[in-house]
Amino acid sequence: MFFLLFCPSISAVQVGETVPVCNAEFKAPVQKLDLTKYRNKVLFVDFWATWCPPCKQSMPFLNALRNELNEKGFEIIAINVDEDSQDAVEFLQQFPVDYPVAYDSLGDCPAKYDVKAMPSSYFIDRQGKVRYVHLGFRRADEVEIRTRVLSLLEEKK
Amino acid sequence: MPGSIVYKKSYSFLLVIIALSTQTACSVAPWERGNLAKKQMLIDPNPNRSALRKHVFDSKESSQGGIGGSGGGCGCN
Repeated sequence: MFFLLFCPSISAVQVGETVPVCNAEFKAPVQKLDLTKYRNKVLFVDFWATWCPPCKQSMPFLNALRNELNEKGFEIIAINVDEDSQDAVEFLQQFPVDYPVAYDSLGDCPAKYDVKAMPSSYFIDRQGKVRYVHLGFRRADEVEIRTRVLSLLEEKK
Repeated sequence: MPGSIVYKKSYSFLLVIIALSTQTACSVAPWERGNLAKKQMLIDPNPNRSALRKHVFDSKESSQGGIGGSGGGCGCN
């Protein structure tokens, strides 16, 4: 039982809770991830890695969705969890996305969010509260993701 | 009593249990599976090559049986 104390899933983000503060940073320019800067926007926090095929499969769709709805107050924050962030940097040079990508090679953010699968996506409303968690990605999920984002965008500011 | 054989054996047994516990207490988190996802971590890193070798082996050695092989030795199945 003593060793269970070191398991990462002790603190999990529940639906309705405020997003936790965690250590991830953007490159170029280097700055810490601070989700409070995105208050009043509907956020889609996406945990991904280069070794995760569904994560990579979701990126063109997410990029298109973000560009379509960005003016309405929608933003995607991708958090890369590769142990070697350089893998992600090289991947993004080949397949760039327009939304900001933060890097967390130590796994602090996924531990605090209690990520259950890769990819995992957290829908966050304008008040900064987690409203829905989506696990995995398949082409069939695109409609559901889009519907949920639109629904959050329609809520009052 | 410290120093006795029973004490040493009990102590060793306890250490083994603790060591085994460290191996089983935590699972690998979903975001920590980068190394496990590498191709070289597969049980069979080259399934096509393995299938070809198995086919050749089955064709030549099918009379031996025992590994679920098929074919009559002509190499055509």
